[in-house]
Amino acid sequence: MLIAEHLQKVFGNVYAVRDVSFEIAPGSTFGLLGPNGAGKTTIMRMILGIFTPDGGRISWSDRPIDARMRRIFGYLPEERGLYGKMKVRDQIVYFGRLHGLVEPEITRRTSRWIERLGLAEYAARTCAELSKGNQQKVQIACAAVHEPQLLVLDEPFSGLDPVNADTLNATLDELKRGGTTLVLSSHEMWQMEHLCDRFCIITGGENRASGTLAQMRAAWPTRVIRVAPPSAALRAILDAVPGARPVPGENGCLDYEVAAGAPLPQILRSLVAADAVTRFEAIEPSLHEIYIHTIGEAKP
Amino acid sequence: MNEIVTVYSAEMMRRLRSRAFILGLAIGALAIGVMIQFPNFMESIYTNHTNRIVLAAGPALLPRAKALLEKDFKVVATSSSVAPPTANDMKAHRANAYFILAATPSGLMVTAYARDPGDISASQLRRLLLPLSIESAARISAHRAESIVRIPVRIRPISSKFASAQQSNAARGIAYILLLLLYLLIIINSQIIMSSVAEEKTSRIAELLIASVSPAALLAGKIAASITLALIQLGVWVAVATFAGGHGSIAASGSGLGASSPALSLAGVSASELASFLVFFLLGSLQMSTLFASFGSLINRTEDLGSLSGPLIMPVLVAFFIALSALAVPRSMLVVVASFVPLLSPFVMFARIVVSTVPLWQVAVAIAINLIAIWGIAVLGGRVYRVGMLLYGRPPSLKQVWRAMRA
Repeated sequence: MLIAEHLQKVFGNVYAVRDVSFEIAPGSTFGLLGPNGAGKTTIMRMILGIFTPDGGRISWSDRPIDARMRRIFGYLPEERGLYGKMKVRDQIVYFGRLHGLVEPEITRRTSRWIERLGLAEYAARTCAELSKGNQQKVQIACAAVHEPQLLVLDEPFSGLDPVNADTLNATLDELKRGGTTLVLSSHEMWQMEHLCDRFCIITGGENRASGTLAQMRAAWPTRVIRVAPPSAALRAILDAVPGARPVPGENGCLDYEVAAGAPLPQILRSLVAADAVTRFEAIEPSLHEIYIHTIGEAKP
Repeated sequence: MNEIVTVYSAEMMRRLRSRAFILGLAIGALAIGVMIQFPNFMESIYTNHTNRIVLAAGPALLPRAKALLEKDFKVVATSSSVAPPTANDMKAHRANAYFILAATPSGLMVTAYARDPGDISASQLRRLLLPLSIESAARISAHRAESIVRIPVRIRPISSKFASAQQSNAARGIAYILLLLLYLLIIINSQIIMSSVAEEKTSRIAELLIASVSPAALLAGKIAASITLALIQLGVWVAVATFAGGHGSIAASGSGLGASSPALSLAGVSASELASFLVFFLLGSLQMSTLFASFGSLINRTEDLGSLSGPLIMPVLVAFFIALSALAVPRSMLVVVASFVPLLSPFVMFARIVVSTVPLWQVAVAIAINLIAIWGIAVLGGRVYRVGMLLYGRPPSLKQVWRAMRA
C-alpha cells in the first residue's frame, strides 16, 4: 500500500504541491489527472524519492520512501530519453542492472520484454535508428524490465500511434494482472477510465477530487436523461421537472440535465403516460466530463 | 556500491568505444611522439643542411682547426688555397659556408663566406678556435693552449636534490613533460565527463537514470570511469614517450640547438616522481571532474558546453602557468603559496617536488588541503548535479545554483 499524507512541495515562492493525500492499494492502478503544470510530475517524483517532500509523508508498505526503494520502483518520465548510440538490448540490460538484476535473470527478462513489445528486429540496432514510437517502447522496457512492485508512468501514451497504444494498454493490463501497482498520468481520458481503479484530480498543486469513478460519479451534482422520440408531449413533461434544463445531445433525442437526486422512476412513468417512449436513458457523467467540470470549478 | 560498479562499467564501455576517446588517444600519442622527436628532427635538419662547411688554411693550421671546428660543424672538404671561393666551390661540396683561416702576429684571422651570412655566428667561431688563436699568438703548445682555455668550474650542490647541473636540467625537462601530461589528462577528461553529463541531460535520459540510481552513485561511477580512462591514456602516452625518447635522445650534440634542449625522455623518471605524479593527478582529476560534471548538469543545449567550460578551465590554465614558472623559480613566494591552493596545488606542488626539495610536511599539508577540497567540491557539486539534472527550460540563474548548493 502506498500512502501519501498531506504532501507539500515548494520551489522558491511557488507551491507546486499543497496538502495532497491519497492511498493506492497494492496491485491497483491509480490515475493522476490534471492540466499541465498542475503538480502531477512533482508528486510522481516525490513518490519515487527523487524529490523530498517539504511537508507530509509518503510510505510504501508502511516504510518511508528512501533511496533503496528505487530498486523495486520503476519510472517512465514524461521527458523521454535514451542513449542514442547504445544498442536496444544493451540499454534494457543496463537499466536492469541498475535495478539490481543479475545474470542469467537479466538476459531472460530483457529477451521477454523485447519479445513482448515487438522489438525483436530492432534489438541489435542503436536507439538513434529507431522511430519515436519504438524508442518509447524501449523506454517502457527500461522502466519495467526489473518487474517493479510500483511502476510510475508519466504520460505513457503521448506520441504513440493507436497500434502502439494498444500494445502499451495490453502490457499495462498484464503488469496489473501480475500484481504491479501502477500510477499513471495522462490526458487520454478514455484510456485512463479503462485502466485506472482510482483517480486524483490535481490542479494548482491541490487535490480537487479523488476516489473511484463510481464515487466521483456519485458526487456529481447532475445527471443527463436521454429520451426519444423528441415529441412535444415528452418535452413538456421534461420541462416540468424541477431544475431540469435541455442540453445539447444526440440527434433524434431529448437530452435534459436534471439534479442527481431527481426521481427517475417517477419521471419515466410520467413520460410513458404522455407518449410512446422508445428510449429512456440516464447517462452517467464520463471521466472527461468530471475532469472538465472539476478543473473549471477550480479556476478563479 | 553495486550501482557505482554498474554505472562505472557502462560508462567505461561507452567511452572506450567512442570516437572521441579513440581519436584523443591517438592524436595525443602522435603529439607526444612528435614533441619528443621534434628537437632531434630539427637538429638533423640543422646538421645536414646548415652545418656543412669547407675549410681552407695553410698546412700548419689545417689539422688543428679541423679538429676544433668539427665539434659544431661537418667539414665536408678542406683546401690549402686561401683565395676567396666562388659559388661553384660551395655548390660542388653542397656546403653552406667556406672558412678561410690565416695566422697573423696577433693571433688567428677567420674569413667566413656563407650563402646566408645569418647562419654564421662569430662568437661560435671565436669560442671554437680560441685555443688555436692562443697557440698561434703566444707560440705555446696545443696542449697548453687547451688547458688555458678550459677553466675548471666545479658546481657543488647545497641542500639540493641534484648532484649536478645536468641532473637539474634533466629534471626540469622531465617535469615539463609530466606537467604537460597532467594538464592534458585533467583538461581532456574533465571536458569529456562534462560532455557525457550534458549528453544525458540533453537526451533527457537523466530523469530515468536518477529514478534508477542515486545521483551520488551516478556521479561517482562516472568520475571513477573518467579517471580510469585517463590512466589508460596516460599508460599509452607514457609508453609512446618512452619509446620515442629511446629512439634518439636529445643529448647535447654540439649543434647549438641540441645543447640548449632539455633531455626530453621519460626514462629518467624516478619511482617517487611517478608516485607523486599519480597522487597529484588523482587529486586534480577528482576536483576538476566533479566540478565539470556538476556544471555539465546545468546545460540544456550541447551548444552551451563551450561557454560553461571556459571559466572552469581558467584555474587549470593559471595553475599550469604558475607550475611552469615553478620549474624556474620553485622557491618563489607565489609558487609556494599556490602549491597549497586547491585546484592550483596539484600542478604547482608537483612541479616543486620534481625540481626542488620540498619539506615532507608541506607535501602532506597540500595533500590534506586537496582532500578537504575534494570533499567540499563533491558535497556542493553533488547538490548542483542532483538539482541540475532535473532542471529543464531556461538555464538556471546563479541564484538557483547557489540555492541548490545551500540546500
